[in-house]
Amino acid sequence: MHKLDVVFFASLRESLGKEKVTIELDKVTSIEEIKQAVASLLDNPDPLFEEGIQASIDYNFARDSSKVDPESVKEVAFFPPVTGG
Amino acid sequence: MIKVQKADFDVASLYQALCDNNQTGAVAMFVGRVRDFGDKSNQTDSNKEETLFELEHYPGMTEHNLQQIVDEAHSRWDLHEVQVVHRVGELKVQDQIVFVGVSSSHRAEAFQACDFVMDYLKSRAAFWKKETQSGKSQWVCAKESDEKSLERWSN
Repeated sequence: MHKLDVVFFASLRESLGKEKVTIELDKVTSIEEIKQAVASLLDNPDPLFEEGIQASIDYNFARDSSKVDPESVKEVAFFPPVTGG
Repeated sequence: MIKVQKADFDVASLYQALCDNNQTGAVAMFVGRVRDFGDKSNQTDSNKEETLFELEHYPGMTEHNLQQIVDEAHSRWDLHEVQVVHRVGELKVQDQIVFVGVSSSHRAEAFQACDFVMDYLKSRAAFWKKETQSGKSQWVCAKESDEKSLERWSN
């Protein structure tokens, strides 16, 4: 098993009331499956499934179908659409 | 050069750094400023309060995103230098928030690359804005028009 840090930002962090959770993965897993695994650790996971929530794998924007290899990936993040500039 | 910082930036020094090349014939620069886009229609002089913004970012990812955008600009146009400075932390109306500067031999490349970097920064760099007015805070929503603007660069 490999530990994977999952971090949250902005409005999602606030509505989940958490900055980070750590999950354990034993095989290549999609972002969609990681979301389900994270949800099982949260009291109120609904905000994670709100429309527009985006994900990243080691700082690169990812899709729900993107794969996470627990041997090489260090961090997955979930956050709302970005609003810089 | 890419910088994500709390401190304000000096446009004159950034411009000087962009000019440090004998081949530079054009410099295009963009400065984004914090504007007050709250609804003031219900406010009188007595209850008018300053709008504050908090800029959050994802340390590591934000710089990575910006570097990818700058690298892409270099691959699309013949550029000498690209500089991006984006502020984070607490900001108020009229503060400078972002600087994008591009130097090249000719103006067309400089204008286009500056526009390109700003467009991608809006939709592909990990920053989030929170607005506070009269003690109430809310996260700024992303605009569909920003995402749509990226289509201009898809060919």
